[in-house]
Parts: sequence; C-alpha cells; structure tokens
Amino acid sequence: MGNKQTIFTQEQLDAYQDCTFFTRKEILRLFYRYRDLAPQLVPLDYTDKPAVTLPYELIASMPELKDNPFRQRIAEVFSEHGDGNMTLDNFLDMFSVLSEMAPRDLKAYYAFKIYDFNNDDYICKSDLEKTVNKLTRNELTPEEVSLVCEKVIYEADVDNDGKLSLEDFQHMIIRAPDFLSTFHIRI
Amino acid sequence: MLRHQGCSMLRDASAPGMLQALGARGCPGGPVFHLSRKVTSIVPESCLLILLGLVLGGIVLAVAKKAEYQLEPNMFFLFLLPPIVLDSGYFMPSRLFFDNIGAILTYAVVGTLWNSFATGTALWGLHRAGLMDPGVEAGLMDFLLFGSLISAVDPVAVLAVFEEVHVNETLFIIVFGESLLNDAVTVVLYKVFNSFVELGPAHIHATDYVKGVASFFLVSLGGTAVGLLFAFLLALITRFTKRVRIIEPLFVFLLAYVAYLAAEMVSLSSILAVTFCGICCKKYVEANISQKSRTTVKYTMKTLASSSETIIFMFLGISAVDTSKWAWDTALVLGTLFFILLFRAVGVVLQTHVLNRFRLIPLDRIDQVVMSYGGLRGAVAFALVILLDREKVKAKDYFVATTIVVVFFTVIVQGLTIKPLVTWLKVKRSDHHKPTLNEELHEHAFDHILAAVEDIVGHHGYHYWRDKWEQFDKKYLSQLLMRKSAYRLRDEIWDVYYKLNIRDAISFADQGGHVLSAAKLALPSMPSRTSMSESSVTNLLRESGSGACLDLQVIDTVRSRRDKEDAAMHHVLRGSLYKPRRRYKASYSRHFISPDKQERQDKEIFRQNMKRRLETFKSTKHNVCSSKSKARLKEKGRKKKNISLTKETPNGKTQRNIPWQEAAPVLVMVSSEEEESDSSETEREDDEGIVFIARATDEVLQGKTTPGSLDVCPSPCIIPPSPTLAEKELPWKGDQADLAVYVSSETTKIVPVDMQKAWNQSISSLESIASPPGTESGPQHRRFVCPVLEEGRPQSASHVTPEQSSCFQFPSHISRSGRSQSDSSPDGPEQQELQPLMATEEQGRMPPTVEPRRLMFHRASHL
Repeated sequence: MGNKQTIFTQEQLDAYQDCTFFTRKEILRLFYRYRDLAPQLVPLDYTDKPAVTLPYELIASMPELKDNPFRQRIAEVFSEHGDGNMTLDNFLDMFSVLSEMAPRDLKAYYAFKIYDFNNDDYICKSDLEKTVNKLTRNELTPEEVSLVCEKVIYEADVDNDGKLSLEDFQHMIIRAPDFLSTFHIRI
Repeated sequence: MLRHQGCSMLRDASAPGMLQALGARGCPGGPVFHLSRKVTSIVPESCLLILLGLVLGGIVLAVAKKAEYQLEPNMFFLFLLPPIVLDSGYFMPSRLFFDNIGAILTYAVVGTLWNSFATGTALWGLHRAGLMDPGVEAGLMDFLLFGSLISAVDPVAVLAVFEEVHVNETLFIIVFGESLLNDAVTVVLYKVFNSFVELGPAHIHATDYVKGVASFFLVSLGGTAVGLLFAFLLALITRFTKRVRIIEPLFVFLLAYVAYLAAEMVSLSSILAVTFCGICCKKYVEANISQKSRTTVKYTMKTLASSSETIIFMFLGISAVDTSKWAWDTALVLGTLFFILLFRAVGVVLQTHVLNRFRLIPLDRIDQVVMSYGGLRGAVAFALVILLDREKVKAKDYFVATTIVVVFFTVIVQGLTIKPLVTWLKVKRSDHHKPTLNEELHEHAFDHILAAVEDIVGHHGYHYWRDKWEQFDKKYLSQLLMRKSAYRLRDEIWDVYYKLNIRDAISFADQGGHVLSAAKLALPSMPSRTSMSESSVTNLLRESGSGACLDLQVIDTVRSRRDKEDAAMHHVLRGSLYKPRRRYKASYSRHFISPDKQERQDKEIFRQNMKRRLETFKSTKHNVCSSKSKARLKEKGRKKKNISLTKETPNGKTQRNIPWQEAAPVLVMVSSEEEESDSSETEREDDEGIVFIARATDEVLQGKTTPGSLDVCPSPCIIPPSPTLAEKELPWKGDQADLAVYVSSETTKIVPVDMQKAWNQSISSLESIASPPGTESGPQHRRFVCPVLEEGRPQSASHVTPEQSSCFQFPSHISRSGRSQSDSSPDGPEQQELQPLMATEEQGRMPPTVEPRRLMFHRASHL
C-alpha cells in the first residue's frame, strides 16, 4: 500500500484504472516493467507527472527485439506522436489493448493501425507489401509479394475500392474465429 | 454385448480355411461401413467393428470349439499400434498441439496419475468392504496395477470416435493429445506396479518409489528424445534423396518405425517416440520430398492406420468371445465402470479449474463434460491386461473381464452417445472455413507483434519462446535439414496463396467443365474465374504432370464462339501461366549470375517447353493411338524431326517477339543445365526428366542437325523475306506429302486449344473446306500462308489485334505442327495426340506479362 502511494497518487491510479483495463495491482506491475526498461530515466515518484519518455532507440536496441519485424511499427503506433518514443501512458495503453478485457473492436482498430504504415487510414497495397516483406524477411520476389497482396485485398475488400478500410478489416477479422484468442497477452 | 457367442450358424463348416475367408471378409468391414452413411452417422465405426468382431468370434468359437484368434499383445504393440500413432503424430496440427501443450501435459500426467491411483484405491476399498467376490484375490498393489492400465485414455479409441464427432479443434487436440501423451505415464505406472506386485508388498523399499518416479521422467523424456533424434535423422536423410525419389516414403515409414522399435527396445515410451518423431519431422520432410512422395506418404499412412484400427477393433471383438480367459465379477465390473467415469469427471473438473487460470480461452463447462465423457478406453488397456502374468497377478481373469467390459462400454455406449451429447450440449463444432490468405498473414503478423510487445515488457511468455524457436529454426535447423530450394520456397504465406490458387483452379476446372460441355457457353461468361485461377492452372499442370484434363477444358471452351474478350482473357491466361515459373526462376537465379530478364524468360520458356513435352509424352506413352497419319509418321526418320525441331525454336521465338539472338543463350542454358542440375535443386520431382530432354535436344543440335538449321538458329532477323521461311519449311514439309495431311488435321486440333487463335482457326477450316482440291491438305495451307507470313511478320508482335491475328496465326500453326512432329522423339506417333495440349501450354507461357496482370487486378476490384 505504501508503495503505491509513493509512485502514484490515488487520483492517478483511479484515472489509470478508468482508462485501461487493468487493476491497480497490474498497473503497478506494469509500471515496474516500464521502469526496468530504463531505470536511470524513469523516476520512482510519478505523483508530479514527470514528462518521461523512453526513446525509441532504447526499445529498438533490446536484444530480444532485434529480429522482430514489427518493433518499430508497434512503438510508432502506440506512441503519442508517432515517433516511437513511449511514455508510461503509451506503455499502459499498449498493454491495455492487448489485455483480455479489451473489446475486439479496439484490438482490431490497433491491429489495423499497425498495418497501416503510411497512416492514411487505409491498408493499401503498399502497406500490405511492407507487411508481407517483413513477415517473409524479403524471401519472396516482388512479383510474388504483389500477387499475395492482390489476393489479400481481394479476399477482404468488401467495398471494392482496392484497399482495406477499417470496416473491411474488422469485417474480415471478426470472421476469423481465433483472432480474439491470438491477439492477447497475459501480463 | 457378450452374448454374441451363441450365434452359430456355420456349425457344419469345418475347415479353418473357411475361417480365414471370414476373417478376410471382416477386414474390409470398416471400409464397407463407410458406404452406408446412415448407419455410420449414428454408430461410430469402432462400435460396428467390435460388434462385427464379436459375431465373427462367435462363429469361430462355434465352429472350432475354441477361440482361434486373439489379440496378441506382441502383435498389437509391434505392428498394429505404430502405424496409428505415427499417423496421428505426423498429421497432428502442430501449432494447435503446442498452443495447448500445457493443458495436454497436465491432463496426460496429472490426470492419468490421479485416475489410476484413485481408481485403484477405490476398488481396493470396495474389495476390503467385502463387496466383491471372494475369488478376486488381489491386494492394494494389484488394484493399483489394474487402475493404472484401466485409467489411460486410449488414442485409438479416441481417434476413432472423435474424428466422427467433429468437435472444435481445441477440444479435440486436448483429448487426443492427452490420450497420446499419457502413454508414458501408463507404461511407467504399469511397469512399476507390475514389478511391485511381482516383488510382493513386503519387499518394497522407499527407494523403489523414488525409482518409480525417476523412471517416469526417464521413460517419457527418453522416449521423446529418441523421437526427436530420429526425426532429425529422417529430415536429414530426406534432404539427400533427390535422386532416389522413389524411396522417400520408405524412409519416412522406416525411420519412424525404427524410432518406435528403438524406444521399445530400451523400454522407453515408444508411443511418445513415434509421436514426436512424426510431429517434428513433418515440416522438414514435407519440404524435402517430392509432391508424389508426399501424396504417397499421406495415403499410405492413412491406409495403414485405418487398417490397423480396423483390425484392432475386430480383434477386440473376437478376443472377447473367449470365455476361458476371463472370469466375471459384477461388483468389480460395475465398480470399475463407476469409478473410472467418476474420477475422470472429477479429475477433469479439478484440473480445468486450475488450468483456466492460465488459459487465454478458458475451457467452459460443456467442454469439460465432453472431455470427461470422451475418456475412452481401448485396445492398449486390453493388450496390457492380457500381458499380465497369471502366476503373479492372481485376479488376472477378473481383470481381463473387467477390462473387456470397460473397453466395450466406453467404445460402444459412450461412443454411441457422445455424438447426441455433443449436439445436445451445443458444443462448438469445428467449422471448416476456407483458409484465407488474410488469416495466414495476420496470424503471422500477430505472432510477431505479440512477441515484440512481450519483449518490450520483458515478459517471457509463450510468444516469446515461440519467436525464439522460430528464429532458431530459421537460422539453423531449416538450413541444415532442408534443401536449399525447399528452404527458399517454404514461406507459408506463399504456400497458402499457392494452395488457394490450386483449389480455385480445380473448382474452375470442375465448374467450367460442366458448364461448358453442357451449355456450350462461351468463355466470356467466366473470365473472372479464369483470371483468378490464373497461375493455379500452371501449378496444376506442374503438380500433376498431366495437363490433359485442363487442356481439354480449354478445347471445349474454345470450340464455341469467341471474340475480343476471349483474346484479352487469353492474354491474361498466357501471362499468368508463366508467372509461377518466374518465382521458381528467381530462386533458381539466386545461385547463379542472373542474366537479364528477357534472357531468363527465354530459358524458362524453352526449358518449360521441353519439360512439358516430356511430361505429356510420358503421361500418354502407353496410350493406343489409332491415327493413320501418326503411323505413317513413324516411318519418317528421326533426323527430319530433329531438323524441324531446331527450326521450331526460332519460330517459337518470333511469336514471342523475342530477338533471334536470344536463341543462342537458350542453347547455352540447356547445355549448362547438366552441370547445374545438381545445385539448382528445383522443387519439381521430375527434374531429371528435364535434364534428360534438354540433353537430348542438345545432342540433336550439336550433332545431328544439318548446318542449315544451325544457321537458322542464331540468325538475327525475325523478318526474313519469305524465301527464307519457305526454305525452312521445305526440307521437312516438302518431302512429306502425307505428313502434310496430318499437319492440317493437326491444325484443326490445335486451334481450338488456342483461344486467341480460335477465330483464326474457324477461318482456316472454312478455307480448307472451301478450297476444292485438297481440303485438308497442308501444302495448300502453306501456299496460302506464306504470303501472309511475309506481311504479317514485319509488324508482328505478340499482341495482335484480332484482324491481324487471322492472317498472322497461320505460320505459327504450321511451325507448331512442325514442331509437334519434331519433338515427338522416337515414339513420335503417340505423341501426336498430345500436340494440342502442348501447344496450349506453349502458348500459355508466352509472356505479355504486364498487361494480363493488370487485367486480373481489374477483375479483383470489380468483384
């Protein structure tokens, strides 16, 4: 209990609880996780709302992440200004979205955003090509990638505009029964 | 159930030969049941088989006065069980399995331990309470032994019943995985208790218990290790079987079986060994072996497994008839039945309660009911109980009887009722929705995203470990265990795309075949279909090696009216047909200095032509051909063919609007293929075929051709004045008057194939009909054509407007027909039949690539 008080004020905790799908305990645990990323940067006292951000370089330099094709994209999507630098709020947001309690639409929305590389609110062919290239680690030739992307768009494009809108994406994702089960992280 | 012994109809039939016949007739019983849908929709096949076995056993008993056939434990464990386990391991959906590995392991280990101890102790209590017949001489250890063998869920029974019930995958994998993995527990418990019983309770020390626990880990982990070792070996071996495709399936079966025997020999868990061998080797083996071997492995495995299953259930029925083997005790039987049901349910509920805290998707109540009810016992328990030593275990006969009843009860009663139960409880069934590229893509993406997020938070969860494993696999294992080509081509996303396309093509072929043959609809009605299935057509051609059916479709279709749209569509087909090859080519060029695009394309086309011809040739080699012209053709020397062949190449080129100079690279390529064939392992199984053919042409080109033809090849102009072309035709066309007849008939055959030229064909046929002298004679045509050629060629491009194409096409026909004679090597005549097919393929591979692609896209957006 005492620990909590030193880090967050009661109001802060309540606010976090309102904004995320976490309990107080989980919020604190996540805070420690966050702090572990950069103990020298993150103060233990958050009561005066310090404007601490973790630079993207720090996240990208994590050895576990160096092979992950989506590391930059994730950081970008969840960071406030799209630059990959994360505050504690962003950090909590990210997990909140991936928690079990988050509704499916929210998950779909963020998944959509992750795919939408050029931030135009549509997954267009170039976005998909990027995704496929990342996933296959450039093993496919451009022609193949383009074929695959065509097919993907063809499969999911309900309104026939040649790109996937959020509605298309949600429609497609809801039909996939295991989406909810796969897009989870248990803290 | 046990009353069937009475049914004896063949009292007077004496010879065991009769019995053999009966037995032989019984085995196909399983398949026969498949035929009667009505019966099998209600009654699981395993029940029917047991009943059939009972009947057969009754007959045997009545005839021979003693039970002839028994389910021998040795036979069961050495021959009947391995195929089933291998099949289930090999075709185990590994992702699902490892996703649920925690639950499976819990149920398999904790659940089985709980079941056997609880059942054993409870039965012992029952015995102590004096409810059992005093004839049952058994102590605590005996009952624990019995509990251990009766409590294990049996993979064979579970598979037999659950495969027909179609519950959702998670439920299935948990029950089935449990039944596979609990083997280790069962075997260990069985062995430990067996040795305890043999020792006698008095001589058991504390260290023995420790040994028992230790042996559990040894047996299970050891079995798994053996399985992994052999999986590794198997994958490694299949990497080097490129030249001996025929024994690839053999290796798969052999090594898996060796794994089983090896584990059995050192008394580790053999079931675990085979299961893990199957699970782990699959990925690499599938990537390494050829398509045909893959099919062989698949069907052989399935066949073996289902015959084993059939035999096992039959023998269960037959063995149950033998009264001398068992002794009945109602209390024991009822008690056992009650306890196994009760404790299974209790165990499942308790474990699920714990597991649900950790599972992302909790197992709800209905799942738990199905899981407890799906705990079927089977042949493993029966074989184990038969193995007991009557000297040591006094109550063996009672145990045998109880086991038989339990097995029958679970398989028949529970097997019968589980389907209605599942329907009644509205258990989520497995829905066989189509796999979509989207799912595949997003699943991968999500995996990565989740792994990344887990990493960021420093939380080493499931995704973290899977990500790590995948990287390890990609970096080391796959490199080590897969052929280079296979490794490259293994991308799942592409695979899914590939499969989808194949499916589309098949459905297109089906649908197109019906529609077109029935209503004579013109193709324009379904351009979208075609363009969707574009590359799949090639895939099919490639995979099956027999383009016949597809091409026949095409022939069908083109016979009807055609118009511009057809032509455009054909462009689509053409371009896209070539496409998948490009991918292959890309991988191919990876290991070589990649020549420029046009050149590569050329080589591709050339090689493909050769291959196609060989394939079609092979596939119909043994067909009877009854064409006179063909017979006549046979007399023509090979040399002529060769000559025409060499000529044909440039002709083909011109059609494709490719500079003549490129003919030379083609040849170079072919000759170099000899050396390269090794390193450039393509995925195609009949690589050797290509090489062979290529060499043949090579020889032809180098050795036998006349200098003139050689000159033709590299000659740099497409647009030689008519004399040149005419000269080219002359040597082989001129001296074969009868051949010419053939040619024209051939033309009519070819033309329909080629949609783009169908129009043209109709004209040509009209002309041939109209022209009085020799309606069908080739020379006429040629005279007709040559002038046309002169004008046509100069402007020629591969894209010809319909009006142009009418006059333009002719040379190509001739050249093609000429080629057709030429490339039909020694066995030429039969080959002729195939010409239309090959012609299509050749046409299809011509490369106006860009346009078709765009066309296809349009379609996508239209829909």
